[in-house]
Amino acid sequence: MNTLNLNDSAPRLDRLQIAAVVGLMCVSVAFVYSATHGIPWMASNWLRQMVWFAIGLTAAVGTCLINYHTLIRWAVVAYWVSILALVAVLIPGIGSMQGWGARRWIDLGPFSLQPSEFAKLGFILALANFLSRPTDELRLGINFWKPIGMLLLPFLLIMKEPDLGSALVLLPTGFAMMYVAGTPRKYLLRLLGLGGIVTALFIVDVLFVTNEKWRVPLHSYQRDRLLVYFGRDYTDFAPPNATREDLQRLRRKQMDDSLNVRQALISVGSGGLTGKGWGQGTQKSLGFLPRSVAHNDFIFSVIAEEKGFVGSVTVVTLYAVVLFTGLRIAGQARDRLGKVLAVGVVTLLFSHVFINIGMNIRLMPVTGVPLPLLSYGGSSVLGSLIAMGLLQNVHLNRKGY
Amino acid sequence: MLIFDQLKKNDTQLQLLAVVMFSGLAILLAGLWWIQIVRARDYQTSSETQSSRTVRLPAVRGKILDRNGVVLAENRANFNISVYLEDLSKSFKEEYQRVRPTNTVTIQPSFWKRWLGIKPTVVPRRLKAAESLPYEWQARFSVLDKVTRQLGSGLQIPNLTLDTNAFVRHFTNRLALPFPIVKGASIANVACFQESLAGNIAADLEIQSTRVYPYSNTAAHVLGYLKRDDNRSAFGEDALFNYRLPDYRGVVGIEGGLDTNLCGRAGTRSVVVNNRGYRQSESITTPAEAGHNVVLTLDVKIQREAEAALRRHASGHFGAVVVMEVETGDILALASAPASNPNYAITGFPGYPGGEYQSWTNAQAGLQKNRATFELYQPGSTFKTIIALAALENGLNPNEKVRVEPNPAEPNKGAIFVGREKIRDTASPGDYDLRRAIVKSSNSYFVDVGIRPGVFTRVVDLVERLHLDDLNGLPLRQESRGYFPTAERRRSSWGAGHIAHISIGQGEMNVTPMHMAVLTSALANGGKVLWPRLVSRLESQDPAVVVPPTVFPAGRVRDRLGVSQRSLQILREAMKEETEDNEGTGRHARVPGLRICGKTGTAERMERGQTRNTTWFISFAPYEAPARYAVVVMVEDGASGGASCAPVARDIYKKLFNLDQPAGSRTALTATR
Repeated sequence: MNTLNLNDSAPRLDRLQIAAVVGLMCVSVAFVYSATHGIPWMASNWLRQMVWFAIGLTAAVGTCLINYHTLIRWAVVAYWVSILALVAVLIPGIGSMQGWGARRWIDLGPFSLQPSEFAKLGFILALANFLSRPTDELRLGINFWKPIGMLLLPFLLIMKEPDLGSALVLLPTGFAMMYVAGTPRKYLLRLLGLGGIVTALFIVDVLFVTNEKWRVPLHSYQRDRLLVYFGRDYTDFAPPNATREDLQRLRRKQMDDSLNVRQALISVGSGGLTGKGWGQGTQKSLGFLPRSVAHNDFIFSVIAEEKGFVGSVTVVTLYAVVLFTGLRIAGQARDRLGKVLAVGVVTLLFSHVFINIGMNIRLMPVTGVPLPLLSYGGSSVLGSLIAMGLLQNVHLNRKGY
Repeated sequence: MLIFDQLKKNDTQLQLLAVVMFSGLAILLAGLWWIQIVRARDYQTSSETQSSRTVRLPAVRGKILDRNGVVLAENRANFNISVYLEDLSKSFKEEYQRVRPTNTVTIQPSFWKRWLGIKPTVVPRRLKAAESLPYEWQARFSVLDKVTRQLGSGLQIPNLTLDTNAFVRHFTNRLALPFPIVKGASIANVACFQESLAGNIAADLEIQSTRVYPYSNTAAHVLGYLKRDDNRSAFGEDALFNYRLPDYRGVVGIEGGLDTNLCGRAGTRSVVVNNRGYRQSESITTPAEAGHNVVLTLDVKIQREAEAALRRHASGHFGAVVVMEVETGDILALASAPASNPNYAITGFPGYPGGEYQSWTNAQAGLQKNRATFELYQPGSTFKTIIALAALENGLNPNEKVRVEPNPAEPNKGAIFVGREKIRDTASPGDYDLRRAIVKSSNSYFVDVGIRPGVFTRVVDLVERLHLDDLNGLPLRQESRGYFPTAERRRSSWGAGHIAHISIGQGEMNVTPMHMAVLTSALANGGKVLWPRLVSRLESQDPAVVVPPTVFPAGRVRDRLGVSQRSLQILREAMKEETEDNEGTGRHARVPGLRICGKTGTAERMERGQTRNTTWFISFAPYEAPARYAVVVMVEDGASGGASCAPVARDIYKKLFNLDQPAGSRTALTATR
């Protein structure tokens, strides 16, 4: 179109988004430092987080250098490599528990990687590649079921780890991509209806079915988290011959299980309007908010406690900037591939943010979903920054360039 | 919004997505607003509640001093050597790792590490909470045991052992407070600890104050006693505490009556605890305000003499003594026998639950009753002083002779018939004028005079002016009103018989020895009815405080008798004769070199079918104006007022006027005050 390239003075990178991402990274380092206070600096988490940011930024720049049309040729490879990693992580000896009771990590010596973080990207690339075909082809039934299959494969593998949260974020991501790509409305409505029915049955089963035979095979801690979230009493699920001690034990267990949720809420709430001040949060320094989760899944609680409502709004605003600039990038994308890719990345990001912050304020059940770019963790940081690189890539190669 | 505008207008999919995300973020913000703004206070409260413990710090109780500054009640430091459990929590963990069962699990390294030749690691299996609990306790016991032994050998206390039950209780209920290992350490222990152990061991000195009464039984009823009451709360202090340190509440006596002044105001220490309940830091949020010292009007020398004299002359009897300055109303001694040692209420009674504790709790033994201010007695013949005053005011000629007829049943004693009732006399029959009637304490004379028209109205008036049926306003929590027939009572079925009995201080009336002291002072000081004063001032414990002490004025006149000085002088004269005349019933009170005015009394009362005596001696001295001291002695079941009570008063007068000293150094006690 613009053969004269009149827009040469226009920014080639989306600077607003980059500013927001850098802002989130600064917040991350500051509050990982605050949450893991007292560890010698060589071994400190904030330093490691900075190293990961450096690696992640390099990877993001690398992602930007190659046109996404070239990159997408490797989408299928990336998808299957990540599927392979997801299978490998389930094998004892390769996958490691890291003391958490779920096989989510591949131990690489000085650090360990979480394949599910990369599988999310592999899935987005592969699905974008598949959906970028002409709209007419998407009307075929087979081309509706294939993406569903592409989604279910990593979904089930991640569920198996188990990592319910990471698996669940794939659903809205895949759905949004299919919707934007132009999958016919009737298919999507059917999918939505089916999903709704399955979810409803699942929740009813977990919350109200006390008979062992009819229960969904969930890990007990997953069931417990859901029960805690919906405020059900453990004692309702006690066998009829339970003794008083058994009931007492169940009640104590419920208190223990709901501890994180309760303490996260107290952290957030006690922050008030302006917070207790950076490094002054008492909830984690006194050990009420467990130290093991304060710097990763519950980093938002730490920020909210120390910086109050003002801090929370700042964080949400930074995410809003990243998300809406992302949608703008999707709108300005050169082609459907770029648009679907951008939408996938933005939806993935949004799902993480909503689930994680929601879990900190008891809007969502507790699942191990990190807060992108804020939570401590190499894989999450690396994955998120590569995703940002993809967005910028779509932007760099937008219409007119 | 800028970004929205840039979305293509026809791109409905992206617009819908934007709306969904916008609403999602809005929901998050609404949730955050609800939690961080609307309900912030609730969460701040629960954050504080779970991480802070408040400790009530009792204030230092004020001392009780006598008029010369002699300490009657004070606080002695009581040292505990206590360990801070948070300092030991690391040792608990290490010891737990040592004592826990050693079954292990092997962790296989990832395949590439095995390829590099890294061996599997063996780590102890993680125990379930129920499994690990006994080992955790075992670890704590063994750590504490070690500290205890270390302390025991360092302080040379050979048999120092850990009280495991106390430790379990402390650990579960009072974890944030230090755990006392050595309770009530001696000064030698403390010195030894400070010299060699402090700083090297996770223990520290804790100081608690304990109430001590250095004179033990002396003035026990005035002082009262304390009762352990950690849950007390005074006006103006915080009410809710997680922990309360030992504290005491005054029950009776000055400790009880002036408890709010003595106890001061408790402070608050706030302890920040972590999620396990171990102390992290602490601060005093409200410092305790020490209580006030109470300075009494008592003179401990006189008090001790009064108690000793009671023991000497009425050993084994219940009794009471009140010594009062007739011009100021100051109580110099207020004794009640028997008395219990108030220290026992703090330290425990020796021989508990038998011994003194048994008689202390037994109402019949009456150890707790203050007989000088609380127990009611009939005044007997001592009340004839008032009858005499009333009669004189009514125009009685003191020289008028009244003939007393002999008692038909006992011809050498007199008697008088009122209606059909015979009132016996201990004095012989014959002619009596007022002086002789007082000296020999003739019942017949006073009945004869008392039932004369107009006399009783004046008696009622005098009783009202003396406030015998009222309280004396002493802060002892053991005080009674006397009883005198009310005007209403006097209207119905009232006759000469009743008046006759009251004329000899019996029948329907009751007083306490304190009332009699006020009465006696009024006779001595020319008719002023004073408020007795037991507390002279309340002063701050801190000598640096410039706030002036609260001083209770001396010599507050409550009322006046309203009788002529002539009548008083006639009565005083007769009362002097009572001790100086060889026929006088009060002759045993005589002290060489001092002229004492007195009146004996013996009231008979029926108790469980037995006739029992209340014997009295009321007196003041010197006879020459100005009179200075009133001494009232009451002994239950004494032989007679003259035999049982007068010698007690005599000993007290000797002490008051320094008359047992060699002649050269004799000076009146209060001359220097």
